[in-house]
Amino acid sequence: MRRWLSILLALLIFAAVVIPVVSAEEKTKLVMSIHTDFNREGLDDYIALYERLHPEIEIIKEVTPFEDYLKKIQIDAVSGRVSDIYHVYSLWGVELVRSGILDRPPAEIQEDVRKNYVPVAVNGATVDGQIWGIPTEIDNYCLVYNKRLLKEGGFSEPPKTWDELVDMAKKLTKFDSKGNIRQYGFTFLAGWDSAVVHPFLAMLWSNGGEYLSPDFKKALFNSPEGVQALEAQLRLFREKGTDVNGSVWDFPNGNIAMMIMAPWDENNLKTTMEDRYADVGVAPIPVMKKPATALYTWFAGVGRASRHTKEAWDFLKWMTAQVYGPNQTTRMGDYLVQSVGAMPSRKIDLENHPKELNDQYTACFVRELKNSVAEPNVAQGAEIKTILMNEIMSAWYGKKDAKSALDSAAAQINTILARYYK
Amino acid sequence: MRSRTRAAWLFLLPALVFYAVFLIFPVVSSLYLSFHEWNMLTPPLQASSVGMQNYTHILRQDPVFLKALWNTLVFVAVSVPLSIALAVLMATLMSRRRFAGLWRLIFLLPTITPAIALGMVWRYLYRPNYGLINTLLNAAGIASQPWLNDPATALMSIIITAVWAGIGSNLIVVDAGMRDIPEEYYEAAAIDGAHGWQRFRHITLPLLKPTLLFVFVTGTIAAWQVFDFIVAMTAPTLGRAGGPVNSTMTLVVYMYQTAFEYLNMGRASAMAYVLFFIVIAVSLVQLRVFWRGGVENY
Repeated sequence: MRRWLSILLALLIFAAVVIPVVSAEEKTKLVMSIHTDFNREGLDDYIALYERLHPEIEIIKEVTPFEDYLKKIQIDAVSGRVSDIYHVYSLWGVELVRSGILDRPPAEIQEDVRKNYVPVAVNGATVDGQIWGIPTEIDNYCLVYNKRLLKEGGFSEPPKTWDELVDMAKKLTKFDSKGNIRQYGFTFLAGWDSAVVHPFLAMLWSNGGEYLSPDFKKALFNSPEGVQALEAQLRLFREKGTDVNGSVWDFPNGNIAMMIMAPWDENNLKTTMEDRYADVGVAPIPVMKKPATALYTWFAGVGRASRHTKEAWDFLKWMTAQVYGPNQTTRMGDYLVQSVGAMPSRKIDLENHPKELNDQYTACFVRELKNSVAEPNVAQGAEIKTILMNEIMSAWYGKKDAKSALDSAAAQINTILARYYK
Repeated sequence: MRSRTRAAWLFLLPALVFYAVFLIFPVVSSLYLSFHEWNMLTPPLQASSVGMQNYTHILRQDPVFLKALWNTLVFVAVSVPLSIALAVLMATLMSRRRFAGLWRLIFLLPTITPAIALGMVWRYLYRPNYGLINTLLNAAGIASQPWLNDPATALMSIIITAVWAGIGSNLIVVDAGMRDIPEEYYEAAAIDGAHGWQRFRHITLPLLKPTLLFVFVTGTIAAWQVFDFIVAMTAPTLGRAGGPVNSTMTLVVYMYQTAFEYLNMGRASAMAYVLFFIVIAVSLVQLRVFWRGGVENY
């Protein structure tokens, strides 16, 4: 009896150890790291479809909030627990490429990217002259306004120039008896670096200025054009067209007449404004000298340490580059416009999603692609952007004038650039 | 004897291993990293040596570090004495009164509530538009204040919250110290005609010196490392803490951002060592000042 029990026990242990190993070997597991805002309804359906078409593949999605996403990549790299697929904010590309985190795409994918994606998105996926992934989402900025508030203020159209915007904002701003603003003519986004820096860059480029030198050795935004751009922002504060206390959340409440926003704000506005969403209008950012807006991009890449790089690139090709169906779009294009509320970067997706991309909100962003300038993929991009944000805000708060704020930012940023671009 | 020694080492071994892995190793590693440039994306041994560059950069070329150092110094210098003074005041008022236990519990509640939760609530209280504090000010005919939205008032707003939250723990310790003082001393002083302030000045304070030393040193060490309130109150997300315009940036918040946002673990390690030496130096000064003149025994 005891002998039989021993044999049974041995068999159970064998089964417990061997069976999971065997079943694990049956499927190739691809770990896909994405950030929370990219994990919308519908993504799981595409993953499930791919797994049905390729029963040997299992895709494991790891979702991290945007603010912790880069930290996750860092910690994964240190712990040796790398993902097979990453969805990468282009600004992080330089660090990820120079640290050997990303795999170089196969030649046919590079060729496809060069040929079929809009140039700003190709630049976003390019680091040191080399393409490192497949562009996905592109985001630029436009002026979003409340038609009802403009009408109540006697304006039938949004402003076309920055001077017009300042004059309108002044007239649309309302105060209570204590001197607090109860309705904002205009509010700047604030709270994170891109929110402050991207609209400034749009104005800098509109005014004919440059952000950094082409070789990334020097900051150029403290030129006279940059100082004028920041001065134009400061006029809004001085002439009481805004203050620092406005919040993006006041727009859905109907307390802000104009703001600069990105395409992905569409879903938030629709959800929070409900019937009042019909009041939302979108126009190009008012110009200083010429039309311009800032743009940033994302791309999908494969981890260099992945043991399944071929399978990972195959999935990305299927998801992002394979044109399918009667509408002749890609799955990524469909997902971006229908679920994420962002603009796709593949030319065919921009052409073949007329319903979603020509709607009340997104149409202006699409039209403005021709005037969009991408933020550069520069080393220490996040640190550089935070420094610039703080100096711009120090001018907003009246602690520095426009020139000294931008000079101070340029001096700090030049110190960083000197370390990485010799 | 030898076998008993061996047994002792065996019993100590798990704790020593834990201590070595989770304390000694990180401390030594960060010292090594403070002389290197490492972004956490490559193996640590591939980090390139930069000598003293991380230290010279933060002390000479990084205005944000110096701003963070100043902010932390202000936070320590204001919040610690204020919190302890209020704790002593509360303990004195509560001492030998009815419902003292209930009051202690009420004051302890903020201390046992997570700082992140407190910070979130206070952030809403401080909101310039629609915040409760400004609503009350407006009702009293006073204009709204920007609180956390203005570099001039943001740090003080956080200090108010931190002091409010910190009174409870100090109160418990100070109150215990006060209750240890023999009642006879106060009775004798009363017979000699000493009034309330004289009794406090000549009996309570001298005999409370060891207790005050403890709360001062531990409170100061904790205040140098303030992180949670700054994060909860100044940023919707961790990476954006310390604003507006670095007015609430503290050393530990900046250290975190340097390591995990700017991918510069070497420079963040150098900051950690600068903070370490500051805390050691300040603690030694505090001990020296407090012990000067001796400690009253009872």
